[in-house]
Amino acid sequence: MKLVACVLLLSGFFLVLTALVLLTSLAQRSAFVGAGFGVEILGLSLLTQSYRSIRKEHR
Amino acid sequence: MNLELSLFSILLVPFAAAGLALIHQGLGRSRSAAHAMLASLCALAVSAIVFVLLGSAWAGSVGAATHSFTLGGAHWDWLGASPFFAHGISFDGSDAAGLGRSLVLCLELFAAGLVAIIPLSAGADRWRLGPICLSSALLGGLIFPIFAHWAWGGGWLAQLASNFGIPNFTDAGGAGTVQVVGGLAALSVAWIAGPRRGKYSDEGIPAAIPGHNIVLVLFGCLLALVGWTGLDSAASILFYGAGPQQVVGVAINALLSASAGCLVAVFVTRSRYHKPDASLSANGWIAGLVAGSASCAMVSPLAAIGIGAIAGGLATFTIEVFELRLRVDDPGGAVSVHALAGIWGLIALGLFGHFSGGTRGGHILAQVVGISALLGFMLPLVHAGNLLLNRWSTYRVDDDGHWHGMDVRELGAGAYPEFVIHADEFVPR
Repeated sequence: MKLVACVLLLSGFFLVLTALVLLTSLAQRSAFVGAGFGVEILGLSLLTQSYRSIRKEHR
Repeated sequence: MNLELSLFSILLVPFAAAGLALIHQGLGRSRSAAHAMLASLCALAVSAIVFVLLGSAWAGSVGAATHSFTLGGAHWDWLGASPFFAHGISFDGSDAAGLGRSLVLCLELFAAGLVAIIPLSAGADRWRLGPICLSSALLGGLIFPIFAHWAWGGGWLAQLASNFGIPNFTDAGGAGTVQVVGGLAALSVAWIAGPRRGKYSDEGIPAAIPGHNIVLVLFGCLLALVGWTGLDSAASILFYGAGPQQVVGVAINALLSASAGCLVAVFVTRSRYHKPDASLSANGWIAGLVAGSASCAMVSPLAAIGIGAIAGGLATFTIEVFELRLRVDDPGGAVSVHALAGIWGLIALGLFGHFSGGTRGGHILAQVVGISALLGFMLPLVHAGNLLLNRWSTYRVDDDGHWHGMDVRELGAGAYPEFVIHADEFVPR
């Protein structure tokens, strides 16, 4: 789960970079950069969730 | 460029490190106080040495050699390629360019130290000294230099205008380069080290573990104001060409945003708990400083008050969310105060900043691109680095250390030997 979360974070970042390279208008870029940012938030949520369960030795 | 003013401003930055160190040790337990202060010194020392040896080469500076490639018609400047060990920077005053580069090196040296100190807050009372030094080396030698090059050293984020026709990413006082990078490292450390023993019950209900010296925490806030003013001013002069008049604005905005953050935290905690909470109010003060640093020289005093106020409220609420809902045990609130308030500050610059060119939408887009680089690239990088270091040298102290405290466990003596130690109500026997 942690690995998937990190892959999602990186994917979102590369989506943002791709939007900058391939698109030209501000509206299109904003939409795709927003989508990339959303993927990053998804990855961050997944990573947070994976660490949420408290291990027994930490109680 | 006013070099004398920038040198004076840089010399104020160590006060920020001193302030953060006092805040961290005050918000931790008394049995770990000496350890917290020594950890701050070690983090500063290791990151400074490693930054000069390795990191300064990768951070680079505008006009210096870089590692770059061309893709999609854009010039991607990813990493500095200056000589290692700060070779090539003259300190003899023989040329003006050398003086500018030496000032950048000096500022980034202190900034790297701040980045290394920030995560100590999240690992308080359980993060061992050896791994702290290793993590500081990682932050000062690799993590901070990469983003410092992107934002401050003429890297791809500072070339968005020439490559893609949108305004450059702007981070005038290091809200992203210093605060968010340090805050994300703090999140990674809190995840890896896990919560303090006794913090959560079997049902996941958190126990309150109050800081042991709130006076030092509040004094640290005052010291941090001096340091932040220096950091914001020096970065604005060296990387964005701010003049003396703008530096006056930086000092005013720093105080206003910190004040607004603190007052909002006082108001929120008073309305929720009937009395103001001193530690959360201190966090509001620092959150205001952090958020205000992105736009320090580029917004009006009124906007600085608004930015600080929102940061103070954000920090107050998210510290609770992290502790109660997400079970992130961050005794000093570094994730909320540095990472989230820093991200808010970067967005606020796009929303309220005064710029000479470019559309408002373009500036917001540029700031979002920078934030996505922080979350999408720097967070996985720093987390992967911390996971590797944790395999090599375990971050978390053993159960014996939890019981005796970090001072006795790692240093052999407590910070307050004449204090009467009462039975511990937080750690199960």
